[in-house]
Amino acid sequence: MDFEPLSLALKFAFLGVLYLFLLWIARSARKDLKVNSGVAAGPETGFGGGGATRDGWLVVEASDNLDPGSRYDLFGGVTLGRSDDADIAFSDRYASGLHARVYARAGRYYVEDMNSTNGTLLNGAPVLGETEIPDGSTISIGDTSFRFQLDD
Amino acid sequence: MEVRAAGGSAPRRGSARNRELLALIPVALLLTIGFAAVFAQNDSQLGNLSLSYGLYFLAVCLATHIYIRIRLPDADPYLFPLMALLTAIGLVMIYRLDAELARDLARDQANWFVLGLVLFAVVVHVLRDYSVLERYRYTIALTGIGLLLAPRLPFLGEQVNGAYLGIRIGPVGFQPVELAKLCIVVFLASYLREHRELLVVGARRILGVTLPPLKHFGPLLVVWGASMFMLIFIRDLGSSLMFFAAFLALLYVATGRLSFITIGLAMFMAGAWVVYSTVSHVADRVDIWLDPYQDPSGAGYQVLQSMFAQADGGLLGEGFARSMVVIPGSSGDGFLPAAHTDLIYSLIVSELGLYGGAAVICIYLLVAARGFKIAMMANDGFSKLLATGLTTVFAFQAFVIIGGVTRVIPLTGVTLPLVSYGGSSILANFILLALLLLVSDRARREARRGGPAPPAGVWS
Repeated sequence: MDFEPLSLALKFAFLGVLYLFLLWIARSARKDLKVNSGVAAGPETGFGGGGATRDGWLVVEASDNLDPGSRYDLFGGVTLGRSDDADIAFSDRYASGLHARVYARAGRYYVEDMNSTNGTLLNGAPVLGETEIPDGSTISIGDTSFRFQLDD
Repeated sequence: MEVRAAGGSAPRRGSARNRELLALIPVALLLTIGFAAVFAQNDSQLGNLSLSYGLYFLAVCLATHIYIRIRLPDADPYLFPLMALLTAIGLVMIYRLDAELARDLARDQANWFVLGLVLFAVVVHVLRDYSVLERYRYTIALTGIGLLLAPRLPFLGEQVNGAYLGIRIGPVGFQPVELAKLCIVVFLASYLREHRELLVVGARRILGVTLPPLKHFGPLLVVWGASMFMLIFIRDLGSSLMFFAAFLALLYVATGRLSFITIGLAMFMAGAWVVYSTVSHVADRVDIWLDPYQDPSGAGYQVLQSMFAQADGGLLGEGFARSMVVIPGSSGDGFLPAAHTDLIYSLIVSELGLYGGAAVICIYLLVAARGFKIAMMANDGFSKLLATGLTTVFAFQAFVIIGGVTRVIPLTGVTLPLVSYGGSSILANFILLALLLLVSDRARREARRGGPAPPAGVWS
């Protein structure tokens, strides 16, 4: 009896499931990189100090599904929205898929609304065009809000 | 438009454990497919035995998962599934060898796996506050050195292939080096946590080279030197390489001084050359590595057969249980020697091809990535260094043996972590997993609550 086709099929099934599984884990790991645990480099951390530029963070203040207090590193700029493609993805009835972006330029941080349906608020005022974010500001999108924080 | 809840973007408590649970299902599925393929090949029938094996495996993993859910609710979600996957691949490959070697290795390995998980649970229970490890650092260091010495004791030790690796108490054989590696990492992490500042501040420049202060470097050098000496004494080259890598990685993470690493590597070069030119056992290994064809049926046999077996596999492999391991008609492991231990990676490549081998390497890479992530998330120096050291030693062990069988570095006998047959290796690696998850659980819990918890008295 020839079992070769079955053997072949099982081998490919094994490799297929294995790679899908690894891709899934690698993808989640990549997403995790955007979330930082919220520990600044102190004398005890053992990973050296930061550079000359000040790191900026978004700290969740209110959200349906993000934990208040989670911190997001703004390195390289981030997009916010309820789509999975957003770097900081959250669920909010009033948020658009890609709602706003936050980025740094020449040591300053800016927020820009990306033509969202319901708009973005910076300290209660609507964001028009790119707007600089002062330390400690609050960025609100629908019912979700983040506090902007600079490292010392 | 549906919005997915927290799809891996925030460290939520429930979702981490749910992702772990979800990840265990494909792992059990892979084990089932693997067993089914071996059955189909060996007995020409499918049956439902593979399904029951898969379900047993899933049940054991689920029990562990529930335990983690209760005791370590915030721990890293992917580390346990990845380690279970490595064990599953190992079980399939070892089972596949059973028929040809006419032994019951897979059943033993499955028992070791269950025992390893029990030990995992015990370690998690006992070391709830793992900072006690720091207090007993010298006891742990002495235990480690003692474990390394044990195989050389006349009434305990036994010699295998020129290396004194195992000890035997009654019917139970054990490879103490697997446990010793954990002891040495714990010692290095706790010592460096306390003295790292002094190592940096006290450093002096002599002839343009920054040297660490001897007073604080001394104890480190003594313990580490002793373990290196023991390894050469018991002739375990692979492990000495592993220890050295862990030592350098920890020193770098603790001090951030590249010069220390340069000095370390220079010392390694010098030491390696001295050992090469004085110890014949080492010289043989290196010569075989450089030119295995000088003695193709003797000393070079193992590494050559390993290369041939991998070449046979090609891109996609010959399929489960379809590559030749034993020459028909001969007794014992003829074609691919030590296929269940040292050369198990060659067997995987032979049967699943380059893609299968690359996948295995990817699993180790992902484990290393998770481990270093845990180190970065941890809030105190000891946790950071412990996670770094454990991850390095695990990943480097995989490098030493995979590098060995692919002739990147000289072939030395260490196990492929969790895949190779061997009880002590399985047990030690599940203790390692327990420590990593303990560190991870504390770090992620503190991150979730926002900021580190007030330090307990023992961490400076």
